[in-house]
Amino acid sequence: MSQPDSDPRPAMEESPPLLAVEAEGLVKQYRGRGGTVDAVRGVDLSVCRGEVFGFLGPNGAGKSTTVRMLTTLMSITSGTARVTGIDVASEPDAVRTRIGVALQEAGLDPRQTGRELLILQGRLFGLSASEAATKAGELLELVELEDAADRRINGYSGGMKRRLDLASALVHQPEVLFLDEPTTGLDPASRLTVWDEVRRINERGTTVFLTTQYLEEADQLCDRLAIIDEGVIVREGTPKELKSELRERRGLDVDPTLDEVFLDATGRTRERRAGEVQEVAAR
Amino acid sequence: MSMVTQVNVLSARALREAWRTPEALAPTLFIPIFFLVVNFGQAGKIFPSSSTDFLHGQTYAAFTLPSSLLLAASFGTAALYLVEEIEGGYFDKLRATPIARTSLVFGRLAAEGVKTVLLTAVLIILALPFGVSVASGVIGWILLLVLTSLWAMVFVGFMQLIALKTRSAAATNSGGLIFFPLLFLTPNFVPRDLLTRPMEIAATLNPVTYVMEALRSLILEDLEWDSIARGFAVVAVCGVVMVLLNVRVIRNYD
Repeated sequence: MSQPDSDPRPAMEESPPLLAVEAEGLVKQYRGRGGTVDAVRGVDLSVCRGEVFGFLGPNGAGKSTTVRMLTTLMSITSGTARVTGIDVASEPDAVRTRIGVALQEAGLDPRQTGRELLILQGRLFGLSASEAATKAGELLELVELEDAADRRINGYSGGMKRRLDLASALVHQPEVLFLDEPTTGLDPASRLTVWDEVRRINERGTTVFLTTQYLEEADQLCDRLAIIDEGVIVREGTPKELKSELRERRGLDVDPTLDEVFLDATGRTRERRAGEVQEVAAR
Repeated sequence: MSMVTQVNVLSARALREAWRTPEALAPTLFIPIFFLVVNFGQAGKIFPSSSTDFLHGQTYAAFTLPSSLLLAASFGTAALYLVEEIEGGYFDKLRATPIARTSLVFGRLAAEGVKTVLLTAVLIILALPFGVSVASGVIGWILLLVLTSLWAMVFVGFMQLIALKTRSAAATNSGGLIFFPLLFLTPNFVPRDLLTRPMEIAATLNPVTYVMEALRSLILEDLEWDSIARGFAVVAVCGVVMVLLNVRVIRNYD
C-alpha cells in the first residue's frame, strides 16, 4: 500500500508555498548505444500558484522530458524539482495526489466507456465508488460528453478523447494540472473548446503547466512562458515582456509576434526558398 | 485506499477488457482443445486404458489433458494488452496515480487468475466426453483450478516483464513462444520414466514438468500430496521471482 487511508498531505496548510512548480538545475541524461544523450541540461523554472504557464520549444527540445520528470513519470538525473513545495524525487506519491496529468498521447483505455474510465480514475485517487460515480458525472458534464458517456472510447473522435483525457486529469481536483501539447492534432473548433476548458479550470484556482508548439495558443492562454531549446531555457517572461524585449533589442516600430520571439530565442529564421517556407538554423 | 481495493478495481477493468474482446479469448480455448483431440486421436489406440498402467483406468485424453490446461494458461494475452497500454499512453496515466506500484502488477495478474479459473473449468468439462474424470474428487477439482490459475498468473507475470522491458508487441509475442519448448521438454506424451535418458534429464530440470505431474495426478489418481506439493512449490518459487522482478522493473520504469 503506497498511501495511508488518511490524507497523505503534510501539515503545511498554514502557509502554502507561493510557487506551484520549482525546478533547479534539472538534468536528464539517457544512456544509449551511441553514448550519453543530454535531453535536459540544467533547467530552472518557477511557476506561481494560479497562473497558466506555457512551456514552449521546438520538437526534441526537452519539453516532454521536463514534464515527465515534474510529474514523477521519469527519474531525474540531477537537480531538484518541487511541486506545491514537495520534492518530486523523494515523495512521488504525495506529488501525485496534487497533480493532474494529460500527456501528449491522450492516454485512454479504448475498451472502456468514458464513464468507466473516470470512475476508475477516481477510485485510484481514493474516492469511494459512489463519490467516483458522482464526480464522473460532473466531469462528463463539464467537458460536454454526457451523451457519449456510456459509449466505448474507441468510438470517440480526437477532440472527444482529448476532452475526456482532460476530465480524467481533474477527477481528484488537482492543485497543478500538467498538459503536454493538449491540442496537437485537433481541428480548430476542438482546439477552441480545449482552450475554453483550460481557462475554466484555471479560473477555479488550478495552476496550469502547458506545453505547446502552437504559439497562438501560448499567446491566448498563458500568463507567463518559458522557451526551451536543446535542453536549456533560452527565454522566460510574460508574452508582453518577451515581445517588448525583442522590439527594443531590434529597434522595431511595432511589437513583434510571439512567433518572432520564438524564432529569435531558438536561433531559427524562416526563409522562402524555391516557393516553400523553410525553417533554417541561423547559428 | 488499501492495496486490495486498488488491485480489485484494476483487475475488474482487466476482466471487462477480456470480456469485451472475445476474439482474443477464442484461440485460448480452441487451440488447447484441438491439441487434446489430436493427441487423443493419434495415441489413444497405442495406449488403451485396459492395458496401460499409467492411465489408472482412464483414457489417454485424461493423461494429455494437463498439457492442454497448461497451454491454455500460457497464452499471455494480458501482456499484449499491457504493451497496447504502454504504446497508447494509458499506462503512464495509471503510473501518475498515487497507487502502489505492486498494484499495477497484481491488478492484471489477479484478472488473469480469475479468467483462467473459468477457462480451466470449461476445458475440463469439454474433455469429459473423451472419457476423462477427475479422480481426486471435489478437492481435486478445486486444486486443478487453483494450480492452473496460479501458473497462468506466473506465466503472464514473466510476459509482463518482457512487455515492460521491451515495450514491443512483437518482442512480447515472441517471448511467449519460449513456452513451447518448455511444454515439450516434459513428460507430456508418456510418464517421465518411459522417456529416453537425455529427455528424462531435460524434463527433470524443467519446472513445468512438476506442474504438469501435479495436474496429472489430480486427474488420474486420488490426492497424491507429494506430487501436488511439488507442483505448488514450483509455482510458488517462480511466482516470488516473477513478482520481485516485476516490482523492480516497474519501480525503475522511465
